[in-house]
Amino acid sequence: MRKNYENPRPRATPKGRSAVLQAKLALLVMINLAQLWILSATVEAALAKHYGKLTPLIIASGVCWLISITIVLWWKPTISKRQTIGK
Amino acid sequence: MSSKDLGEAIDKVLSDESDVREATSTHQNDFPYERDAEAQVTRREFCNFLAITSTALFVASGGFGTKAIYDSQFIETFPPMSIDDAASLKPGESLNFRYPTENDTAILVRSKQGEYFAYGQKCTHLSCPVYFAKDLQRIECPCHEAGFDMKTGDVLYGPPPRPLDKIALEVKENGEVWAVGREAGGEENA
Repeated sequence: MRKNYENPRPRATPKGRSAVLQAKLALLVMINLAQLWILSATVEAALAKHYGKLTPLIIASGVCWLISITIVLWWKPTISKRQTIGK
Repeated sequence: MSSKDLGEAIDKVLSDESDVREATSTHQNDFPYERDAEAQVTRREFCNFLAITSTALFVASGGFGTKAIYDSQFIETFPPMSIDDAASLKPGESLNFRYPTENDTAILVRSKQGEYFAYGQKCTHLSCPVYFAKDLQRIECPCHEAGFDMKTGDVLYGPPPRPLDKIALEVKENGEVWAVGREAGGEENA
C-alpha cells in the first residue's frame, strides 16, 4: 500500500499516548496477576483431583490471555485532530 | 602491522567509544541516547514482556490442566498390602509405612479408642512430612505449623488448602491391618 505523504495520518498527542501506555501497563499487570492466581488454582485442583474445576480455570486463563493480546495489539491511542500551521 | 599490534588496535576500538561518538557526531542531536540509556526498558517493551508472560501463564495452565484431565482417564489401582507391626501398635501411637509404592510415605495412627486411621505423609501445603503429635492427639506439620484432625485428616489450622490424602484400611480377623486404597484429600477449605 502506498503511503500518503501529502496527508499523513494524524497522530495522538504525546500526553495522550503516554496515558494510553500507562493504562495498558496497569491492565496487563492486573491480568498477569489474575493469571498467576488461576495457574495456582489449576495446580491445586489437579493435585486435589478436582477435575471438574480444571476446564473453567483453563477457559478463564484463555480469556485473560485474549484480553492481554487484544490490549497489546489493538489498543491504540485515539487520533487527535491534526493541527496545521500556515494553511 | 604485526598480529599483536592489530589485536591491540581492535581492543582499543572496541573499548574506546570516543571514535564512535566522533564518527556519529552529526547524528547526536537527532538521537541523543547514551549506550546506558539504551539498555533501559521502555513502557512499550515492558507491555510486550507482560503479554509474553500472559501467554506463558495460559500455556502453563492449559498444559497442566489438560495433562491432569488426560491422566484422570486411567483408573489407579492400589494393590492390598499388609502393614507390618500395625497389629502391635498401642492405642494413641503411630507408625510410618509406605503405600502404594516405596516412594509414597504414609502414617498410620491408632486412636485411644483403638481405631486405625492412615494418611499420606505429605502435607498438602508444601509436601513436608507430617508427624503424629501424641500429646495433642493430632497430626502436625512442623514446616508451617499446620494441624490435621487425626480421625478425618481435615485441616484444623495452618496454611494447607485441603485435607491429607486418605488411605483406606481393612482390619482382618486376626488383627492384621491392610492398606487397600488411597484417595486425594477432599474439598478445599476455602
